[in-house]
Order: sequence, then C-alpha cells, then structure tokens
Amino acid sequence: MSVDSPRSTVESGDSSSTALAAFASGIREYARTPVLLALFVFLPAYLIGAFTRLVPASTAPLDVPGAGTQTVEMASVYAVFMVPLVGALVGALAGVFLMQTARESDARLVVAGANPASVLLARFGLLAVVGVVVTGVSVATAATVFGPERPLVLAGATLLAALVYGLLGVLAGLVVDRLAGVYLALFGTMLDLFLVQNPLADSPEYARLLPGHAPVDLAVAAGFSADVPLSLVGEGIAFLLVVGVVTAVALYRSMRVS
Amino acid sequence: MSGGATASGGDTAGRPPADRTRRDRLATGVLAHVREFLREPVHVVLLLALPPLVVEGYGRAMASFPEFPYMTAVPATLGRINGAVFAAAFLAGLIGLFQVVSAVQADGRLGVCGFSRTELFVSRLGTVAAVSVGSAVVTFATLWWRVDVAAPAAAFGALVLAALTYGLIGVLIGTVLPRELEGSLVLVFVSDFDDFLASGIVDVDSPVVTLLPLHYPHALFRSAVLEGAAATDEALAGLAYLGVLFLVVLGAYVRVASGGEGA
Repeated sequence: MSVDSPRSTVESGDSSSTALAAFASGIREYARTPVLLALFVFLPAYLIGAFTRLVPASTAPLDVPGAGTQTVEMASVYAVFMVPLVGALVGALAGVFLMQTARESDARLVVAGANPASVLLARFGLLAVVGVVVTGVSVATAATVFGPERPLVLAGATLLAALVYGLLGVLAGLVVDRLAGVYLALFGTMLDLFLVQNPLADSPEYARLLPGHAPVDLAVAAGFSADVPLSLVGEGIAFLLVVGVVTAVALYRSMRVS
Repeated sequence: MSGGATASGGDTAGRPPADRTRRDRLATGVLAHVREFLREPVHVVLLLALPPLVVEGYGRAMASFPEFPYMTAVPATLGRINGAVFAAAFLAGLIGLFQVVSAVQADGRLGVCGFSRTELFVSRLGTVAAVSVGSAVVTFATLWWRVDVAAPAAAFGALVLAALTYGLIGVLIGTVLPRELEGSLVLVFVSDFDDFLASGIVDVDSPVVTLLPLHYPHALFRSAVLEGAAATDEALAGLAYLGVLFLVVLGAYVRVASGGEGA
C-alpha cells in the first residue's frame, strides 16, 4: 500500500495530514479493485439471504437477553444471528490482509518520518470503513426477512463484531502468514460466534470471555426486544477498547522494529 | 506461500527439465511444492495442530446444544464429526487456492525452464491432493481418538473425498479469481454456507442442499462413523461430483491459460 505523495506531508510533520493521506490511499486502493468491493457487498448478502430462506419454517424457544424466553421463527433467529457473524468474518479477513499488505509500506513511512500514531489511525480507519460497509449490507439483507425491534442497535452490534474481529485479524496478521491467517479467521469466528455463542444453545460459562459474546447478545436483544441491556453495550465497548489498545501497541512496536 | 522453483529431483536433478521424462518432471514439481509448503513452520502447525483443535473445539462447543429431533447423534459427537469434515476440507481448499494464486510467477519461470503448462497444473493438483490426504489423516486420527468410528476405512475415504473436493474448489477459485484476499473471501463464504447446511447441525430439507460440495462427503462420513455403513449411491454421487468438479477446474484452467498465452 503506498501513499501518493508522502514526502510533503511527512516533511511538514503534520500528523493529521499523514493520517488522512494514508487513509485516502488505502480507500483508493480498495476502490481500484471493484471485484473486492463487489464481494464485500455480495457475499454477506448471499450468505444471510440464502441461509435464512433455506431454514425450515419452524419455531424455537430463544433466550433473549433482558427479556426472558420467547418462541420465535427459526428464520428470524438466523437473520439476526448471522448478521454479527458475517461482520466478524469479513472484519477478521480484512484485518489479516490489511496487516499483511500494509506492513512494509507502513514501516517505510515511519522511517521516512511519519508519526506512527497517524499511520495507525489510518489503518484503523480503513478497518472501520470495511466494518461500516459490511454492517450496512448485512443489516439491510436481514431486514428483508425480519424486522428487528432496534435496527440501529443491531447495526451497532454488527459493527462491534467487525471491529473487534478486525483488530484480532490484524494481530493474527502480525504473527502468521496469510494462509494461516485466513484459517484462523474462519475457525475463530465459527467456533466463537456460530457454536459457542449460538443463541439456540445454552452457552457455556467461558462464552462470556470470548469476543463474540457482547455482539451476539446485543444483536439478539436488538432483534427481539425494545429494551437492550446497557451492561452489554458497556461490555462490548470495553472489549473493543482492550483489543484496540493491545493491537495498537503491537502494531506500533512492529513499525518501530521494522 | 510462494511458489518457488527450487526443485530437486533425485537422480534427474542435474539434467535440464526438457531432458527428463514427464513422470520425473511431475514428481519433481509435486515434491518441490510439498517441500515448500512444509518448510514454513506455521504450515506444519496448521497441518498437525489445528485439525485436533478444531475437532475438539467443535465437540466441546456443541456439547451445550440441546439435542434436536433431527440430529443423528448427541450434539458433542455431531460437533466433532462436523469439525473433522470442515477442518480437512477447508485446509485443502485454502492450500488449493494459495497454491494457484501464489504460484503464478514461479510457474512462469518454470515454464521458461522447459516445464509444460499441463505438467505445472498437474503438479499443483498433485500437491493439493498430497496435502489433502495428509490433512485427512491427522484429522481422522484425532476424531478416532475421541469418537468410536464404526467403519474406519469408509470414514477415512469420505474425509479424503471432502478434502479433495475442497482442494479442487480452492484451485477453481484461485484460477478464476487469482487474488489472495478476494479468493479467500469467496472460499470462506462458500465453505461456511456449505458447512452450515450440510453438517446436520441445522435442520434443512431443501433439495438445493444436495448441490453443495460437502453434502455427500458429510452424509457419507456421518453414516460411516455412526452407523458403520456408507450408502453406495451416495458414494457414487460424491465421486461423480468430484469428477465433474475436476472437469470444471480443467476447463477453467485451459481457458485462463489460453487467454494468458494469447495476450
């Protein structure tokens, strides 16, 4: 990933300009690959849309956080539940590849005098853009099957899943190569969100410690209840902050060392 | 993973590629690719450590599921069975994808050295097949350690079928969409969708499901592990699926290769 005219911004020492230039460069790079943009839109829509239409028309008891047990349509459960899962999946993959493609150029930027914090900000901004796009597509697709009680909270839960897993993907990208990173991204999200946090199952005790807990519980609450427990919002934001700080420190150190 | 051209082929290593027999050249190619894959410690970990983690992780995660009427075994066992099929299949698919995507430049150089396009393609497929079987062996051993397998040979065959099928899907995606991020996205979403619906964890009775790549391998593996029998018609259908997929991959490769030569 390259910055079009780094010299002027780097030499001027303006951190916000450097961050903006690096961010704009990353966005341009995504925009230059229309296949990738199409996949970011099509794949989440396909997974949620097709899956919810193939699930049989039956009902199941669902434990809704803060609202007790309700009997709901299976298609509705999966419409709500798949949204943060897809967000986490795309976020994790974007994180792995963002790290792998930007690592060397970011280190060069820092050697050339750019502030590491600005470069970090630009990379995190890119992850956030991917998260917002996937969130928009996923929530819109789910809405064709089921109308959630609190759509904005559902969108927030999905963005939270995309960001937390995006940051974890960045961390994975620091340690392993792309092949292993994709493997971890897939099985990490599947194990956590699809199996351990599955709202149709009795989650084990350790489920609370995993990154998918707050996003999935928030999504289920937003889908089937008007009252969303604030403690879940706090838990999700706290998890995001912790993962964000750890990732920022690891990334910062890798830039300095590189 | 980059497709290196540092092959050594035993007795024939000193001779120029054009002077060797076709079999020698294929063996050299497959050995070089397998060696290159195994040279990365992370890949060895992927092959040896992650399948057991996935199998056990799926089993433990599904232990908390209620036993729905449509499930053919207790959820923990179903989780381990599903984890085994998915771990073997996805690793093979990923290797197929990365073999093709990362090998474009290296194969170009090997072509200059006298290797034919067909031989390079077959050697890539051979590598995918070799690693697929290796992945299936590790995964099967893990499952056997935790679950009583009623018909081990049939179950292992089904697992290899799943791995080969996804190996070819990875090669197909890499041939049609030769970029790592885009290819990975497609592979991950295809395999997720496939596994959700074919695993028996979710109750789906749509005929569309029979078109999914993992449908027959999953059904064969479940019946071999749990009932000790594998239905002949399902085995034939799975093999036919694999054969058709191979033809599609071959067609896509020929089309892309001829397009590249024309350009």
